[in-house]
Amino acid sequence: MMFGMVLRRVAFSAFSLVVVSLLLFVLTRSIADSPARIVLGDQASEQQIAQFDRDHGLNRPIAVQYVTWISRLMLHADLGRSFTTGLDMNRQIRNTLPVTMEIVGIAFLVASIVSIGLGVLSALWRDSPIDYLARLLAVFGVSVPGFWLALVLILALTVERDWFPPGGFVPLSQGGLMEHLRSIALPVFCLSIFYLAVLTRMTRSSLLEVLDQDYMRTARAAGLHAGRVLLYAMRNALVPVITIAGVSFGHMFGWALIIEQIFNIDGMSRALLTAIQQRDYSMVQAVVMMFTLVFVIANLVADLLNSWINPRFAMAAS
Amino acid sequence: MRRFGSFAAQCGGPAGLAGVLIVTVLVTVAVFAPVIAPFDPLQVSILDKLNTPDNIFWFGTDQSGRDVLSRVIWGSRASLMVAAGAVMIGLAVALPIGLVAGFYSGGWFEQATMRVLEAVSAIPTLIWGIALVGIFGVRSAVWGPFTITNEEKLLGLLGLLYVPTLARLTYASAVIESRTNYVAARRLQGAGGLRIMFSDVLPNCLSPLIVQATLLLAIGIVIEAAISFVGLGVQPPTPSWGNMLASAREYLLSGEWWLSVFPGAAISLTVIGFNLLGDGLRDRLDPRHTTSGITT
Repeated sequence: MMFGMVLRRVAFSAFSLVVVSLLLFVLTRSIADSPARIVLGDQASEQQIAQFDRDHGLNRPIAVQYVTWISRLMLHADLGRSFTTGLDMNRQIRNTLPVTMEIVGIAFLVASIVSIGLGVLSALWRDSPIDYLARLLAVFGVSVPGFWLALVLILALTVERDWFPPGGFVPLSQGGLMEHLRSIALPVFCLSIFYLAVLTRMTRSSLLEVLDQDYMRTARAAGLHAGRVLLYAMRNALVPVITIAGVSFGHMFGWALIIEQIFNIDGMSRALLTAIQQRDYSMVQAVVMMFTLVFVIANLVADLLNSWINPRFAMAAS
Repeated sequence: MRRFGSFAAQCGGPAGLAGVLIVTVLVTVAVFAPVIAPFDPLQVSILDKLNTPDNIFWFGTDQSGRDVLSRVIWGSRASLMVAAGAVMIGLAVALPIGLVAGFYSGGWFEQATMRVLEAVSAIPTLIWGIALVGIFGVRSAVWGPFTITNEEKLLGLLGLLYVPTLARLTYASAVIESRTNYVAARRLQGAGGLRIMFSDVLPNCLSPLIVQATLLLAIGIVIEAAISFVGLGVQPPTPSWGNMLASAREYLLSGEWWLSVFPGAAISLTVIGFNLLGDGLRDRLDPRHTTSGITT
């Protein structure tokens, strides 16, 4: 049963990717100015345009173009070359994705660990100071947009005081560990605070609900050790938290674009915004496809994790 | 005092009441911006540039000497228009889809629609928003006799990105309502499918939708600000909170704090307002919490 569930989930994610990528492909192709016009300019003759389209396979029916594009991507992990700049898009992604990945990854870890810890503490010690702190943080975190927080923190901590650099990314290989961490500390904080708030709130309310169930009372009455009771409670309480965490991971990539912009970090945001400026639609399409892929995979992982820690979820899902 | 108390209870407690108040003030400010704003938000005055906040310019002035307070007040229009317009478009498209799929459940239409909606839920809103606005271009588009401004494109796009969430939510209630006895009774009375759907099923599905719509308003405010911040939303010189923050960036290191603090505070206050309102409405209208919380 477990295996069947995994298979169904994976198949659905693949279906989802096909639908979404088709939508993306059709949208980019129908809206965008033709790459030939962008590259050759307004003066180009019909003949030159036709030649360009033939060279790049743009004269074939759109369905054929889509199938070529998606099968290359899925089977060979090859995004191809940009029609506009002629650059290898795999290389562009390889140059920028790791930076974004690191910032999002650390921010995600910070958000998950702190929020689950804080959520559990505030549910166990309801109406205690730590509970008030957690609830205050939850309201603050969802209301203050990360990009504004970033501006305020730059103002307060880098201009007024010299605690952090005001921007830029120091690779590990260049500045050593300390400088590297200093350069990503503020971006990571600004990116994680929103999701930290959402997940803390989710953990707290979900755990409170589970602790209120009859089987929890039974477990305590049967004399189970408090730690063991909490363990059983968590297995049920974590389900919605993990689902939201999966969705959050995908969304964090979106917000990372804005945060990277503010801190002048050379990640995927630069790749996407440069592509938009240059009207390099094949690159825009490639970047968006990468983000969507990450989003779908994160959701899939969350589902699988849920059915692993909680068999009831697996039953419901299949 | 008792009447006041019962009004607070109507809003879902003191937090909900605060939400109602904040949102009311905001909408009033947006509607009456021309009357409330002390100065013309576009009036350039080089002599007054980069004034610190004082008792003439309460929020200071920007690099062209424009009054920041007036720009924040006028900026509320763009933010609220995009956020509200997007939710309306989302609802207009999602309601019929969700209703029909829920009402005729068990058929191929339900299966096909729900699978596709589930599949396109895998679209990260912000990235698609940025990328598609980028592809459309930020200039106004002329389409027949209509001129579509970038704000309108943005709200249309956001609205469409909301459709999967809203349609699935409508479906979830519609499928339950359609199996109730009163719907069966209406059928026996000879009422047509469309009539039952819109005059009987729909009103009973509205509660979770209203709550979700309120939360989407908060999300819309932040997304609009973010897209304007990267220069793809509301175009200068028209003020919006996002594009004000974008131009404030250049003055961060020189310490002109008022340029970034006030527009950002306006965004936060608005988001707090809609979130509190949404939470209050949820406690009142949707005690079972079928709506999902705030994740953008």
